[in-house]
Amino acid sequence: MNVNFSGFNYLTIAVLIFLVCNLPQLCPAEDEIPDWDSAVADSSGQTVNWYMWGGSPAVNRYVNGYLARELKNRFNINLRQVPVKDIAEIVSKLMVEKAAGKNSGGSVDLMWINGENFRTCKRENLLFGPFADVLPNQRFVDWHNPAVENDFGTPVAGMESPWGSAQFVMIYDSARTPDPPTTIADLIRWIIKHPGRFSYPAPPDFTGSAFVRHFFYHTGAPEKWQQGYNEAELKESADSTYAILNDLKPFLWREGSTYPDSPVRLNSLFVDNEIDFSFSYHQGEATRNILDGIFPDTVRTYVFDEGTIANTHFVAIPFNAENKEGAMVVANFLLSPEAQYKKAEPDVWGDFPVVSTTRLPVEWQEKFNTRPRGVATLDDQQLQSHQLPEPPSDILVYLEKGWENQVLKSR
Amino acid sequence: MKIRHFPFVASIVFAVIIPFLPLILWSFSTRYHYPALLPQEFGIRGWMYVLDTARGQIAAGIYESFTLALVTTLISLVFGLPAGRALGLYDFPGKKLASLLLMLPVIVPPLSVTMGLHLWFIRLELVETFAGVVLIHLTFCLPYTIFVFWGVFSDYDPDFEDQARSLGASPSHVVFKIMLPMVLPGVVVAALFSFLLSWSQYLSTLIIGGGKMLTLPILLFSLMDSGDRPIAGAVCLIFILPAFLALIATTKSLGHQSLKGMH
Repeated sequence: MNVNFSGFNYLTIAVLIFLVCNLPQLCPAEDEIPDWDSAVADSSGQTVNWYMWGGSPAVNRYVNGYLARELKNRFNINLRQVPVKDIAEIVSKLMVEKAAGKNSGGSVDLMWINGENFRTCKRENLLFGPFADVLPNQRFVDWHNPAVENDFGTPVAGMESPWGSAQFVMIYDSARTPDPPTTIADLIRWIIKHPGRFSYPAPPDFTGSAFVRHFFYHTGAPEKWQQGYNEAELKESADSTYAILNDLKPFLWREGSTYPDSPVRLNSLFVDNEIDFSFSYHQGEATRNILDGIFPDTVRTYVFDEGTIANTHFVAIPFNAENKEGAMVVANFLLSPEAQYKKAEPDVWGDFPVVSTTRLPVEWQEKFNTRPRGVATLDDQQLQSHQLPEPPSDILVYLEKGWENQVLKSR
Repeated sequence: MKIRHFPFVASIVFAVIIPFLPLILWSFSTRYHYPALLPQEFGIRGWMYVLDTARGQIAAGIYESFTLALVTTLISLVFGLPAGRALGLYDFPGKKLASLLLMLPVIVPPLSVTMGLHLWFIRLELVETFAGVVLIHLTFCLPYTIFVFWGVFSDYDPDFEDQARSLGASPSHVVFKIMLPMVLPGVVVAALFSFLLSWSQYLSTLIIGGGKMLTLPILLFSLMDSGDRPIAGAVCLIFILPAFLALIATTKSLGHQSLKGMH
């Protein structure tokens, strides 16, 4: 009887402990950032599940080929890519897991994000960190570069680690359009002179939205939006942006009654000779597409004289990741000169290095400066001297909503 | 008789095959630019990606999809047949309510169903498990299976079973020798429905499977909007092929059985 009673008691205590420990606010998940040596030691044998947009065969090839092989050989880490259509799906998944109190053993170890998704993750405390400053290869990154320090206006603060950089470029076929317009003002004139030969993906598509921001920058000084602007100024500039775009509507493809839904559709219209320009938020994409036979050999790229928008893309570790140490080692390896160099090769991926060349060891500096470039890719000098920062992501959202209400819906 | 049916059969074959032609052309092209009708240059870059570069992933995806679809189909048949029989043969209080409830997962957008169940599945520790993904697939497959059997049993005459029983047949004999052969075309249709639905699930697998189950649709849907048409073409064909084979295999038995049943 007595034994039974105490047995019951132990059970009650066990249940109570179990309940208490499952309340997220009382027992927060272990959030300590391991130091580098113990992270490397613990990472051996881990499988890192890396969730990322899987729409690019070139990226998939680089991740599943070179990266997976090197990580296995050097650190005994199994890299497992989980390709998704849109990483926002994974951000929602993490939000549900947070709400359900699943604070450990999560399946996402690493994700490829930036901009709006990073802002959401940071606001909802979905990230593990700050871990970026623990990674030794951070020394190759210029953290004073505004495009690295802030991710679309959100301070990175070590909550994500940079992977690559991207810059918006215009794409044209030199055989069809030998003399492309090199300023926004010229582009507007060109569109009016060639009705039906231009279009852009409808925001909130990532690339279409970036295109609209160039017109927004055209209405005033781009630097102004980094800080200290007021509502009225924003509204005024936004309204004149919509006015320009509305005036252009009758001269767009299908008279602006419809827009392509993605840069992919835009590229298709471009190669199918429906329109004369495409554009990409990836300076090496045109070359890549020429190599794959998707674009004709005569396709080239250029940046506007006033510059084009550039940003950095990052990797982050979710709060409940099971293999945080492995994820840190992967994030660090992504920043190594060899991985960054391989990624930049035009026939691999052609993504631009996020490491700053001057910070690299001398032998790597030489290699990076003389690395092969594709036929349609501009050189670093041309690109870097024409970079504009992204505006904060609330301006971005403001413009996307405004475009929908005032450009798309005004028929 | 064969001659008389020829134009009819030919038009069906034509309508089924023609949509695949562009896919096949794209998948075997390396250069296919406007305005050419046929690819300017043929090649196997698309197939090399699918069968070589991403071979491991895709083979594992096919295996994962196939086992999931198979298990889901078997379970939905086991539960769908008795349920459909009850709905088709008997009147009982609450029948309308039952049919409404069964319809719900089909009417409500799959995303809401999945998101809602996700929270529960986390609590029940079913997320990221094979069983969890089978369960979420069943949410979509089972209603269809039940509705197919409902239809089948509405035209079913249970008197045959009584006759067999009066001649001394055991219950299992009645089920396997009388009922199943009579409803076999229905079983085939229901199995096909269920298999194809499970085979093509993307979002529910992604959310509940949490990336642990890398099924074919998860691998392929992310590639579809790559803009790389040769790869997308090859990938589509890989995706369609098993479903196409299942369809051909079942139409054979379907046609055969329904002819028998017509007399």
